[in-house]
Amino acid sequence: MRFALIALILTICSAPAATAQNLQSILQTFTTEIAKPSRGTVGDTLDAIAASGLPQATPFLEQWSEKNVWQRNDGMFFIGLASGDTLALTDIDTQAISTAQKSDFKQLKPNGGVRRLIGTALVQFQLIDPDVSRRTTAVASIARRPEAAQLAPLLASIDPEVDASLKARKIQLANFLTARFAGGPVDRIAAIDSLSTDTSVEARAVLNLILTTTSGVASAQPTGNIAAILDPLDAPIVSYFALVDAGLAVAKQTPADIKRALEANIIDGRIAGFPLAQMDNAKTREAAYAALVDDGMVPTLITDTLRDATLTDHIFYELYDEPNATITAAAISALAAVDTRVATAKIADLTLDALSLASIFFLAAIGLAITFGVMGVINMAHGEFIMMGAYTGFVVQTFVSNYTVSLIIALPLAFAVTFGAGVVMERLVIRRLYHRPLETLLATFGISIALQQLAKNIFGTQARPLTSPDWLAGAWVFNDVIQISYIRIAIFVLALMFLCLIIHILKRTRLGLEVRAVTQNPGMASSMGIDPDRINMMTFGLGSGIAGIAGVAIGLYAKVTSEMGSDYIVQSFMTVVVGGVGNVWGTLAGAAMIGFGQKGIEWLNPSNTLAAQTYMILFVILFIQFRPKGIVALKGRAAGD
Amino acid sequence: MQNTFIAKNPSVLWFLLGLSIFTVVVSILSEAAGTAFISTSFLKTLGKTLCLCLVAIAMDVVWGYCGILSLGHFAFFGIGGYAIGMWLMYDRTKDIVVSSLENNILPPTPEEITTAIGTQIFGVVGSTDFPVIWAFSHSLSLQLLAVVFVPGVLALVFGWLAFRSRVTGVYLSILTQAMTLALSLYFFQNDSGLRGNNGLSGLQNIPGLEAVSQATLSLWFFWASASALGAGYLLFAWMTSGKFGSVIRAIRDNEARVRFLGYHVESYKLFIFTITAMVAGVAGALYYPQAGIINPAEIAPIASIYLVVWVAIGGRGRLYGAVIGAAVVSLMSSWFTGGSAPDINLGIYTVKWTDWWLVLLGVTFVAVTLFFPKGIGGLFDLLARKEKQS
Repeated sequence: MRFALIALILTICSAPAATAQNLQSILQTFTTEIAKPSRGTVGDTLDAIAASGLPQATPFLEQWSEKNVWQRNDGMFFIGLASGDTLALTDIDTQAISTAQKSDFKQLKPNGGVRRLIGTALVQFQLIDPDVSRRTTAVASIARRPEAAQLAPLLASIDPEVDASLKARKIQLANFLTARFAGGPVDRIAAIDSLSTDTSVEARAVLNLILTTTSGVASAQPTGNIAAILDPLDAPIVSYFALVDAGLAVAKQTPADIKRALEANIIDGRIAGFPLAQMDNAKTREAAYAALVDDGMVPTLITDTLRDATLTDHIFYELYDEPNATITAAAISALAAVDTRVATAKIADLTLDALSLASIFFLAAIGLAITFGVMGVINMAHGEFIMMGAYTGFVVQTFVSNYTVSLIIALPLAFAVTFGAGVVMERLVIRRLYHRPLETLLATFGISIALQQLAKNIFGTQARPLTSPDWLAGAWVFNDVIQISYIRIAIFVLALMFLCLIIHILKRTRLGLEVRAVTQNPGMASSMGIDPDRINMMTFGLGSGIAGIAGVAIGLYAKVTSEMGSDYIVQSFMTVVVGGVGNVWGTLAGAAMIGFGQKGIEWLNPSNTLAAQTYMILFVILFIQFRPKGIVALKGRAAGD
Repeated sequence: MQNTFIAKNPSVLWFLLGLSIFTVVVSILSEAAGTAFISTSFLKTLGKTLCLCLVAIAMDVVWGYCGILSLGHFAFFGIGGYAIGMWLMYDRTKDIVVSSLENNILPPTPEEITTAIGTQIFGVVGSTDFPVIWAFSHSLSLQLLAVVFVPGVLALVFGWLAFRSRVTGVYLSILTQAMTLALSLYFFQNDSGLRGNNGLSGLQNIPGLEAVSQATLSLWFFWASASALGAGYLLFAWMTSGKFGSVIRAIRDNEARVRFLGYHVESYKLFIFTITAMVAGVAGALYYPQAGIINPAEIAPIASIYLVVWVAIGGRGRLYGAVIGAAVVSLMSSWFTGGSAPDINLGIYTVKWTDWWLVLLGVTFVAVTLFFPKGIGGLFDLLARKEKQS
């Protein structure tokens, strides 16, 4: 039948509608096969219909498979739609519409197997359909359920294809089908080899399908393409179950079975002479069971030794479904090559993930690093400034419905709001506590508690969404392994911008000069005419303002809640401490280390982010032992102590 | 008489006297005594408050006397609670399991009992096996040792690492907070073997004492808590007086100078850090049987921060200050957040205390830090000065 299909495809391609026959007359030659189709007989009918090359063949096949074809008493076929007692009929060739009594007609109801064959036959028509969307659907349906019969029509449809991307897809799909179903091993091996550079999930699925194995057990070495001989003692319990399933052994008694057997054989409060009260440990239970075996009351107990002996008497194997060993060997080497590529891609993907996590940590921590580094002030309310920024974004979004515009408004507004809050806090609280750093920690705790509860009172406890604009939705997909969402790219860019901005401010502006002067020696700076109070206020405002912007960025990919600040505060502090206080590069290094470290641990121990965080914290605690001043340590007097 | 311990610490006598009177009065008014002026649930609250006072004086010693602002002592408190909770839960589940297996035809084997207990306890996290850390949960005495030594060893190792590399001040605070966060995250995991965020529950039922009513049990726990607080107070008052006390206060005020005087500062700090962690563990072990349930949220970093808040408001650097702070703030917290505080109607807005209590607490804390660094305890200084003047 495959050759017939190829032949007919060729006919269709070279000379469409060459015969002047009509479809009805072809159908009439196969009346019985169409009226009562079976999987075995319908093939010839379909071949004949296809060979006609008539344009009305496609709609007829579609209607047939959807059970919309009716046969009149005289044997003529029509496409019909029943409503009540009447049928709305369409002539198969002329498309003429008429109505008739339903009682004169019989509906054709092909079974599932026949409908699949019809579908396969249909695909070859759809593959060369003039309508590109139909061709796309046909290709997608092949991709969903690939079958051997589809290979030839698919190959034939590649050359006439005009749409370039669809053509590429057809070639790829044809390659997959060739690898699995082509007739000669040479073709298949060539196709399999070409898959070794394809990291897509589909290609890997094709290779894995070629390597499908069936496991079995036998008393002698099996024939066929053997994938592996297994040692049954690696997993004796499972292996024994397989042996029992194969009917080669008697099931082993479970403790519950033994218990049931013992309970069934109680005579006068004794089991095989043992009093019931002694049955409270495994030893006497076994002894009692053994005694029952001797009496012939119960089947022999299969002990672990007996089980293992039985297991070693049998051969446990895995057999490839594919009988040809050269093909499976080619698939194995192709899969190994693909796996190497996938592993490389995974590392790249992990690096991207780590990079985006690091930029989030950097954004959250950089404000803290500035205030901590320059002023030696610990701001425990820093997390709440992040939250404040995120809520600012949320409030702006409720007033401005265009997400892009609202984001553009929210970023500077969040900076302004948190800058203001920071300045107020500095003037009211922190200024009074400059010489008592631990007290600053306490006072800012108080502020953090109060701010968190205030946010809860105003915005409620449920999480508020901060929706990103459409152009930030979705992800940038390199291939099936490497992809990164646009929001994360945006956060990375934002972090990069802030890195440049802060370095610019600190190194190139008057304010930065004064900030550095105050950092190094406040007394000397003030005698040079720099007002340390003003500088401190500005620095604190700047640090808080950046926290606000970080809040908007974090809010875009995580939910905005009143507790979001406390999720980031410890991590931020660790970033600062690990990186080294008072240095932007240090914070960058700290963020990179914690981000990469956390992703690395997650990779080693997937599906457990809690554990990754726990181990990362432990790692940081240990790290501080060896570099108490962080990665980038200040030297000289500025280091203080 | 001049140099005796009591003469140097007059507050100890007053405190012990006050505590005894309080205990006697509460006992007389309790349900177990028949008068029932104090409900059992309130008696439990009072007992729990005494435990919080105990952990607060431990915090006061480590922070107010030695200058180590630890943000991890409530984690030690929680570990103590978990340690005793493991025995309570194991033994009680064992009683239940054994009595339910009694009706079986065959008497159960030890393995069957263990499996049944495991299923009962760890079913909620999808496991039946006993994790390694439950190895001693069958023995009360071993778990009681764990109450003291697990927090102790943890504090010893952590403190040794931290003090050895001269991590001080705010760095140390952040590091202890990181430790607390790591611990609570670890406890939150289902596979850590402590039932994840379900925590341990049913701790108010003491195995072997099923016949004793909750009213009586609560009174017993109240007495135990009061005795522990009294003993802890004595221990810490004795430790902080005399030469040892002077050294640790000196470390608080100027660590470098003490080191130059030849003292091994790290050892002193490590000793204080460890012993207070052990006391915190004991306090936790007394607290959670009265609370009835413990879960990882209890040891989240914020809990340790509240502990600092209590001590700061009560007045650090004096033991009775910590007791006052913990008692006043924790009782006010449960009063305000329990919904029994009257709402204030301002016409346009009704102040609900369940919403606004934390704001008030936060602002108060800021105000205390800024304007009354001595806290409530500072009032006693004012009284003493007036007495001297008159």
